Amino acid sequence: MVGGYGGMDILNGVDITVDTQEIVVIIGANGAGKSTAMKALFGLVALRGGNVRFDGADVTGLAPNHLVARGMGYVPQERNVFRNLTVRENLEMGAFLKPAATARVMAQVFDLFPVLAEKAKQPAGELSGGQRQMVAVGRALMAEPRLLMLDEPTAGLSPLVMEQIFERIVAVNRAGIGILLVEQNARQALAIAHRGYVLATGRNRFAGTAAALLGNPDIGQSFLGG
Amino acid sequence: MAEFINLYLIPGIAIGCIYALGAVGISLVFAILRFAHFAHGDVMTLGAYIAYSLVAAFGWSVYAALPFALLGGAIACVAIDRTVYRPFRRAPGIIVVIASFGVMLVLRSAIQLGWGVDVLAYETGIRRPLPLFGDIRMAQKHIIIIAVSIAIAAALHWFLSSSRMGKAMRAMSDDADLARVSGIDTERVVRWTWLIGGGLAAAAGIFAGINTKLHPGIGWDLLLPLFAAAILGGIGRPYGAIVGGLSIGIAQEVATYPWIGGDPLVPPAYKNAVAFFVMVAMLVWRPTGLFKGRVL
Amino acid sequence: MDITLYGLMMYGLALLTMMAIYGVLCLALNLQWGFAGLFNAGIAGFFAVGAYATAILTAPESPNHLGGYGWPPLLALPVAMALAGIIAWPVGRICLGLKGDYLAMATIGIAEIIRLVFKNESWLANGTMGISTVPRPFESLGQPWGNLAFLALVLAIVIALYFSAERAWVSPWGRAMRAIRDNETAAAAIGKDVVRFRLEAFVLGAMVMGLGGGLSAMYFKFIGATATEPLLTTFLVWVMLIIGGSGNNKGALLGAALVWLIWSGTELFTNRLPAEWITRSSYIRTLLIGVLLIVVLQRFAKGVLPERPPKRID
Repeated sequence: MVGGYGGMDILNGVDITVDTQEIVVIIGANGAGKSTAMKALFGLVALRGGNVRFDGADVTGLAPNHLVARGMGYVPQERNVFRNLTVRENLEMGAFLKPAATARVMAQVFDLFPVLAEKAKQPAGELSGGQRQMVAVGRALMAEPRLLMLDEPTAGLSPLVMEQIFERIVAVNRAGIGILLVEQNARQALAIAHRGYVLATGRNRFAGTAAALLGNPDIGQSFLGG
Repeated sequence: MAEFINLYLIPGIAIGCIYALGAVGISLVFAILRFAHFAHGDVMTLGAYIAYSLVAAFGWSVYAALPFALLGGAIACVAIDRTVYRPFRRAPGIIVVIASFGVMLVLRSAIQLGWGVDVLAYETGIRRPLPLFGDIRMAQKHIIIIAVSIAIAAALHWFLSSSRMGKAMRAMSDDADLARVSGIDTERVVRWTWLIGGGLAAAAGIFAGINTKLHPGIGWDLLLPLFAAAILGGIGRPYGAIVGGLSIGIAQEVATYPWIGGDPLVPPAYKNAVAFFVMVAMLVWRPTGLFKGRVL
Repeated sequence: MDITLYGLMMYGLALLTMMAIYGVLCLALNLQWGFAGLFNAGIAGFFAVGAYATAILTAPESPNHLGGYGWPPLLALPVAMALAGIIAWPVGRICLGLKGDYLAMATIGIAEIIRLVFKNESWLANGTMGISTVPRPFESLGQPWGNLAFLALVLAIVIALYFSAERAWVSPWGRAMRAIRDNETAAAAIGKDVVRFRLEAFVLGAMVMGLGGGLSAMYFKFIGATATEPLLTTFLVWVMLIIGGSGNNKGALLGAALVWLIWSGTELFTNRLPAEWITRSSYIRTLLIGVLLIVVLQRFAKGVLPERPPKRID
């Protein structure tokens, strides 16, 4: 993929593949193009070259509601809940395209995040950071995606809450949903991931299994904080 | 006291209902499409004239014509959005505002061409106000305006709080980008926004015509009070717009009561200035409105 | 209408005079919108202040309104400008913190309050009837020389304004203004006093709008509520600037000329319509202008003469 905003290329050649059943993490320094790469996959950044394929079909440039209909889910990093809607309404919005499945899938989401069931009637804007992250993930799950893309789901959370979120992500993956994760907390993310990509200046720098990346001393020094 | 209620408060509530109906549409359009719809007043005028045509052609009562005119206003807004505003979805908001100036000119001149510029009325003759209790009297038109407005507000409340599309409208007014990535079909939400905004505007226009007389400038005269009401209530807050509309309607009328001495506190000719003043003051000192809407 | 050579000449004079007066208003709006990005939808208010001030200062004494000061017209114009500026200053101080649509709503509200005052304070300007005895400079020369001389005066003003605006556009002041318009934060970060620059553009623009109002009152020898309708004084000017090309002084003048030609030229055509349609002809014009605005916005969003990008420094 090659692309960026307003004529400035941030991505200069990024190649990412995710198989179903996998957790894949993208790491890299600030400004390496991690979030941009994810947005490009979801059609939010215009590509000048390359394409996005999902399930064998070319989905480059499709509008987000079509991508969601095909089974891709995306949770942005910031402002990822409807603050004035209740938790339940937030989840309903995730199932906008499949209203008939709402009750069934919502029960599954409540199983995964029991705290959301407790707070179902509260406006999402009143929740704590970790709970809001759960609402955001839950909303994306409501569309029953086969690939879930999470942009720094643990940004700004305490280590304890981060732990919880990662644990839930693993649970989602066990239910058969592929996960693509952009993370600052690289070491912890690699610990739950199957594979990883390291981006630098908008290009693939390293790619490999999570264990290989964790074991690579170069990566350890530059990207995992020693 | 009875004089105050009969001649100031009740008419103020009726005008407030008219403002509320128009302001809800402005507030929703502002929050979901992110622009101040300057042609909204002229949509109100259009609705009022559609109703007039039905009254004149079939001899209906204006209240029977109301649902049809509502539909007419709604469809007109969707059509205008398709032909005029849609190409500007990704353009800077100010371009759309200027386009809405164009729509304003087109709508108003089309109305002047189609229906002429004479002052019209839905019905002739004078009805005596109905005694309610004690010295309190209420004109029949005021009773109907207030009752129908309450019914419409209740329907709107149900729609926004319980229907899927209503929730999606609230979601999109909360955060349009997030709505898009959540898989909400935002173009459908936009369509519903215009349907509702246009329908409510038509109702407001008809009520304005019932309350006074019908003329091609009726909507334009109401536009600024509507903006005032939408801002007072907080952009993207439909309930706020209702409260804002009522407050401004009542404030305008009550301000002309002779509170001090025998003269009106604010000369009736300056009634509208009350609304403009409230609007400018809110914009400057509290642009989020009373109910913490957004500043776009 | 009189289709003699003389009649055509008088028509041409009227056409050019109105184009020039609208040219003044367009240059004023370009100063606010093109230079500084200020969405002023209250042109009518400053136009009214200038027009009424000119009328009151120059019109003969009348029991119906304030007046009888007998000022020479050319002395009244600067005062009218100053008054428009004095009104604009507090308005700008209060409102210029508002962005985009919000500024438009606030300024339109203030303009309507100003119009309401002139409409209702009959001791001031004869209420809705207005003042219809405003003297026009050079009218003692009779037709057509008086009209020609007045046109020359308005044209001279337009030319002077145009060259000042062009100078201002490339001056450090104009560059700072555009920098603020395009990126307020960055401009503030390099030490530009954003609030002051904006206020300057707003007040200057409002003064020129007042000048346009004064010229218009003189030309029509009349000022009243109908002459300050936002349709003619606010929205038509916006249509002109957008069609001509905002951010380009030539575009502003071209827009004024082009739109007024359409506005007024359609009159020649509609006057030939059956009698019952003549009364409606002005609505056809408004309709056309509205459609034109929308089409231009959709097809050439930057107008006929777009803003020139700054020269590259190689």
